Amino acid sequence: MLSSDVYRTAGSTSVIVSLPNRARVSLLAAAICALFGSTAIADDDLFRDRVAPLLERRCLSCHNARDAKGDLSLTTAAGLMEAGYVVAGDPAGSHLLDVVTPVDGRASMPKDGDPLTADEIDLLRQWIAKGAAWPADKRLELPSVSSRDWWSLKPLPSQLSTIPEDTHPVDHFLNAELARRGLTALPAADAITRLRRLTYDLTGLPPTLTEIDTFVAADKADPARAWEELVDRLLASPTFGEKWGQHWLDVARYAETHGYDKDKLRPNAWPYRDYVIRSLNDDKPYNRFVQEQVAGDALFPGDPDGVLGLGFLAAGPWDFIGHVEVGEQKLDGRLAKHLDRDEMVSAVFNVFLSTTVQCAQCHHHKFDPIRMEDYYRLHAVLAAVDRADRVYAGLSGEQEQRRLELVEAIRLLEIEEGKLKKQQQDRIAAKTGPLDRRLDELMRQHAAPLRPEYGYHSAISPTQDVAKWVQLDLGKARPIQEVRLHPCFDHFNNIGAGFGFPVRYRIEGSNDPQFAQNVVLLNDASSSDQPNPGTEAQSFAVTAPPLRYLRITATRLAPRQNDYIFALAEIEAIGGEDGGNVASGNAITSLDSIEAHPRWSRKNLTDGIYHQELSDAAAMAEYRSLSRQRAAVVAELQSPELEQQLQSLGQRLTAARAEFSQLPAGKLIYAATTSFQRSGNFVATDGRSREIHLLNRGDLKSPGDVMFPGTPPLWETAAASTTQKSLSDLEARATLACYLTDHDNPLVWRSIVNRVWSWTFGHGLVETPNDFGRMGQTPSHPELLDHLAVRLRDDPRQSLKSLIRLLVTSEAYQRSAAHHAYNAAIDANNTYRWRADRRRLSAEEFRDSLLAISGRLRLEDRSGPSFQDFVIEKPEHSPHYEYGLFDPANPSAHRRTIYRFVVRSQPQPFLTTLDCADPSISVPRRDESTTALQALAQWNNRLVEVMVREFSNQVREEGDPIGTAWRLATGRAPSDDDRRALVDYSARHGLENACRVILNLNEFVYID
Amino acid sequence: MFDASPLSRRGFMSHASMGIAGIALADLFRREGLLANSALPQGLHHPPRARRVIQLFMAGAASAVDLFDHKPLLTKKHGEPWDPGEQVELFQSTPGACLKSPWTFRPYGESGKELSDVVAPLGTVVDDIAFIHNVVGKTGVHSQGTLLQTTGFNMPGFPSCGSWISYGLGSETENLPAFVVLPDHRGLASNGAKNWSSAFLPAEHQGTVIRPGQAEPIADLRPPASSFITADSDHDGLDLLSRLNRRYAEERSGDDRLSARIRSYELAAAMQLSATEALDLAQEPRYIHDLYGLAPEGPGVDDTTINEKAETEFFGRKCLVARRLLERGVRFVQIWSGNDNGFPRRNWDSHEDVHRDHGPLAAGMARGTGALIADLKQRGLLDDTLILWTTEFGRMPCSQGSQGRDHNPFVFTNWLCGGGVRGGVYGESDEWGFKPLDRDHPTQVYDIHATVLHQLGIDHTKLTLRHNGIDRRLTDVHGHVLHDLLL
Repeated sequence: MLSSDVYRTAGSTSVIVSLPNRARVSLLAAAICALFGSTAIADDDLFRDRVAPLLERRCLSCHNARDAKGDLSLTTAAGLMEAGYVVAGDPAGSHLLDVVTPVDGRASMPKDGDPLTADEIDLLRQWIAKGAAWPADKRLELPSVSSRDWWSLKPLPSQLSTIPEDTHPVDHFLNAELARRGLTALPAADAITRLRRLTYDLTGLPPTLTEIDTFVAADKADPARAWEELVDRLLASPTFGEKWGQHWLDVARYAETHGYDKDKLRPNAWPYRDYVIRSLNDDKPYNRFVQEQVAGDALFPGDPDGVLGLGFLAAGPWDFIGHVEVGEQKLDGRLAKHLDRDEMVSAVFNVFLSTTVQCAQCHHHKFDPIRMEDYYRLHAVLAAVDRADRVYAGLSGEQEQRRLELVEAIRLLEIEEGKLKKQQQDRIAAKTGPLDRRLDELMRQHAAPLRPEYGYHSAISPTQDVAKWVQLDLGKARPIQEVRLHPCFDHFNNIGAGFGFPVRYRIEGSNDPQFAQNVVLLNDASSSDQPNPGTEAQSFAVTAPPLRYLRITATRLAPRQNDYIFALAEIEAIGGEDGGNVASGNAITSLDSIEAHPRWSRKNLTDGIYHQELSDAAAMAEYRSLSRQRAAVVAELQSPELEQQLQSLGQRLTAARAEFSQLPAGKLIYAATTSFQRSGNFVATDGRSREIHLLNRGDLKSPGDVMFPGTPPLWETAAASTTQKSLSDLEARATLACYLTDHDNPLVWRSIVNRVWSWTFGHGLVETPNDFGRMGQTPSHPELLDHLAVRLRDDPRQSLKSLIRLLVTSEAYQRSAAHHAYNAAIDANNTYRWRADRRRLSAEEFRDSLLAISGRLRLEDRSGPSFQDFVIEKPEHSPHYEYGLFDPANPSAHRRTIYRFVVRSQPQPFLTTLDCADPSISVPRRDESTTALQALAQWNNRLVEVMVREFSNQVREEGDPIGTAWRLATGRAPSDDDRRALVDYSARHGLENACRVILNLNEFVYID
Repeated sequence: MFDASPLSRRGFMSHASMGIAGIALADLFRREGLLANSALPQGLHHPPRARRVIQLFMAGAASAVDLFDHKPLLTKKHGEPWDPGEQVELFQSTPGACLKSPWTFRPYGESGKELSDVVAPLGTVVDDIAFIHNVVGKTGVHSQGTLLQTTGFNMPGFPSCGSWISYGLGSETENLPAFVVLPDHRGLASNGAKNWSSAFLPAEHQGTVIRPGQAEPIADLRPPASSFITADSDHDGLDLLSRLNRRYAEERSGDDRLSARIRSYELAAAMQLSATEALDLAQEPRYIHDLYGLAPEGPGVDDTTINEKAETEFFGRKCLVARRLLERGVRFVQIWSGNDNGFPRRNWDSHEDVHRDHGPLAAGMARGTGALIADLKQRGLLDDTLILWTTEFGRMPCSQGSQGRDHNPFVFTNWLCGGGVRGGVYGESDEWGFKPLDRDHPTQVYDIHATVLHQLGIDHTKLTLRHNGIDRRLTDVHGHVLHDLLL
């Protein structure tokens, strides 16, 4: 034990500790401390102001009351005392200084970080020398932030700010800021530019020629009305949801494979994509949209959308190996599960609240008021759910329950069956050991290759007692002395030797091919079950007049795999003058046959090929003899009791499978769920939440207190919401959903209006849409942001379309994208919206436009399973997604890009080059990079080549093919110079090549 | 908050003012400037020792105790129950008996460092290699282990080491991508393209896949087979496109993206030439082909059954291509040995039979790598080319089945070579090769990455980009430069 002394003086404790072998030092230290005691009060300030912050910053995260690594806690003076690292007044004798003082640039503490600076070490030395004063009331705390004094956490105004009549609210705020900064707003863009901009922004597609003409005419007549009607038309179009759904899928990190190792498919992920598109097209109230995606099943039971929305929680990557192969019994499996929950928790807060809760995993959030406890309470909220297929329609709740029960029952029965069979095998193996070793040895020494021509195979029968026959035609009546039947060999279902050899059968001869008359019975083995002969030929002597036809009729078939067959490798008929095989090469007929060349065919019966396991005759003889002995031992070990058990199990299995097959399958979605079919070690919780601990330093091996569901106190009225009791899964998620959409929640409304702004204007009022914390950006127009947020919050319909309508009807949205040197000198980035931002087509817009203007876009092929523009190789283990093998002319893929099957591990190369979103992370805004690889893709890609050809066919018959093509791509007619250059080029190289150039124009790729 | 060095200023600009597109463009022009004056790249944190990196990745988890980290105790105790004196939880199995390596170890070089017979070709360069035998991982799950080595995080969503380096240093050439990936042609390892993803860094920093020896080594490098595209139409078309795009840009002054896109087509044309030239191994003399062990029948060599000749061809070809790419200004090349976990096995995940898979793979790897090191050296390129050999984790000292080994994330080997690294052994594993000898001071991937960046002139704590509220870096909040192994 450690020895320690404490010297108390006014409100302060001096620490004197030492290791046992330093007992003398300790006494000495006590004396020194007594001397320095009088200065300790002044030294309290040294500790409070300088030492404590240093210890908190550099030491406390590993050495605190909750998580005392190396049995050292620095939370209180007592903790430090017990550990014996400091001898007050004696820096040289204080072990603390030894461990933090670097030698050759390295110190043993802090373990994972840079050494303390010389000044910091000096400070500690000074503090110790002065008596190591530690005020008794001072507890060290891990750094955390509690202040909500930050723009995004401040309450929203209780009601809408007043805007002057006849002023557009958006322009009201923007114009005020422009004026303040001496910026001049640019005038509105021309009609075609505005049409093209709005059509792409709201639908992701180019306007058609008719739409252009109609709008230009309407704009001339009544510009304001024309614009309003255009906005209404586009918002009402089903293509709106397809464009805006992509925005949402980007932030929702949606894909249709798991990612990680093996990257298996999620065939039932797509209903979430359709749900998102439909919700946006239906203008679902935003709060409802949020609630469905976190707790739809709890809040809206019976409504399919309540389940479909939960596709959000499951949309991100999932570690198949960690869950299915490793499982939560092992640390690695629990780690996978922890990361999985972290992914969900992060998604919920990044997406709905623009808050980075995940920063509080290893320590309290360094900048925002989120403590580790808050973060782990959110783990507790999601502690019961996993990602798996669940039913959203087509199956009642009871049916779904029954379905899962049956799956589990079947699984258990199969395990039981396997166990019994194993028991039996073990009993047999115990007796047949020496025989088996010799058999193995013979096999090793003499194994013969298995030739591909196995023999004849009847059709498969569900029942055993069915007659099936094969018949040999010798061409003419011949004298026969002997008939030999050679059994088959096939590894199928581990059967091997004697595969398909009938249990009961008879051999007959006749000269009537119908076997209607004069039938001679040559051998009758049909009255009792025959032992399986392995590959040993079955030979039967014949005394009969010459015969032309031989028929072998199986009357009880051989078992295969829950079904029955008749198979034979070879028929030999020994006879004639020289006693040879007269059957060789002769014709065979049969009741039925599976003709699967070369393996199975009637003609294999007379091809002279039959398998013998061993190539050496003597060895084969021994092998057979031993096999017979073995069979006898096995027969002796047959236990009628066990047989009965197996039979009974078999019956129960058959019944369970039958009931299962009667239940409707239901429509499935890959979503968050607590009940699903077990897969390996991946087992449903059935709603029982996993126990969640706070993890010190985020380390599963350092669990702290058990955590109960709760939500971070990010605003005043949310502060009291943490609970200290467990909640059911549904209660916990419902509570979270209500917290997210709380009227007083200042983040949720600011977050979504900023996203809508960003998806409309190109960049957000806050440039970090997923982070409104202190590490994020501040809003360029805080009052405008709040105005829009309040408007949405207080809108009884919580309509996103109405918000979008408001934004795009502003003057700001309709401005020209032109350059303006004076403005640019003040605000080059257009933060204050003096002009519109020119933007490039997104990857999806480029591809969709390519298909649309080429006349190949199957626009009406909406919803449903995704199209795959790749070929899957090796699907059984780790699927290879081979894009290069897919024919780009295949119309199955000529749907809008949002309907494509999104693969995580092997993303679509063409779209990825064009800055498509990475589905492993929440992407609030696409990159817009410009690279040589993009030029190569747009110039050379096979899809472009195919569409260029279609595009040229589309315009070839027009009076002005070049002009039409140009208009289709850019919305406007080419200049005379441009037209002339292209017409020239087209004359030399053909219209296709001219169209290829047009599809690479900046004017096509950029939207003004 | 940000210091004044260009590296972090770029981080600032990208999230604050210019936006991502601005950065890509800035890089485009910066490169032009950089090429014009071939002085040291501006803005490094300290003078670099290396200018380029090759990362050799053994997918499936290569066994240190069978290649580089000799454990005589395993030979001594072969077949005896393995008892490390603590509970062991393995990925697939329960611990079997002690399993000696199927290969003999012998000393090489002046240092006498012992190598397994199966990697004997590395013997001639062993004194240049800095072995780190005490690397530890976080889990024994392939995907997580692989991501940890390639991105520094054990979950998806973070930029690859190569992407960070491309982001930090840009490219030395405009005609080739800065970050090139040479995957195993039989399939991608765990996580696929996530291992060379740029994640939240600008997309231009993602690894570009090149498949040497394939009909289309770079996607869309050349026009597809077409009824209408000819060399003339292609040439004249690009010419016309440039004129039309220029006219459009002239009407829209003040937008550099438009001219950048015009330039991107010129770069694309240049890349067609340079990439084709770089990948043309016919330009290499016979003795170089032989040095790298290329098969006379080329990439079509038979590998119906895994065999040394084919593995040598596959790996050697990638090594030789890597050298040619580096010579032409590519910054970071990632070479993969081994595909996914399909069957028959073509990776290092030897659960069933170490000899069967590690034999041919290691022999091929050693031949290609040995040749690469020797070849770089004879060209004077080894001094400023850093080679990093890695894998997702190691394999256990005990057996799985009778001849396989299960995963060992508790200790494994990385090695570095060239680029200012001193040969030797730094960090040891325990007598079993089960855990680090000094458990309190293992080496982590952060240390390796910090060292790689350090050699390139980058302080790993200062190459950052703010993403979702965190100043992200390759080394998270960890990492110490391994000064001991630097020259």
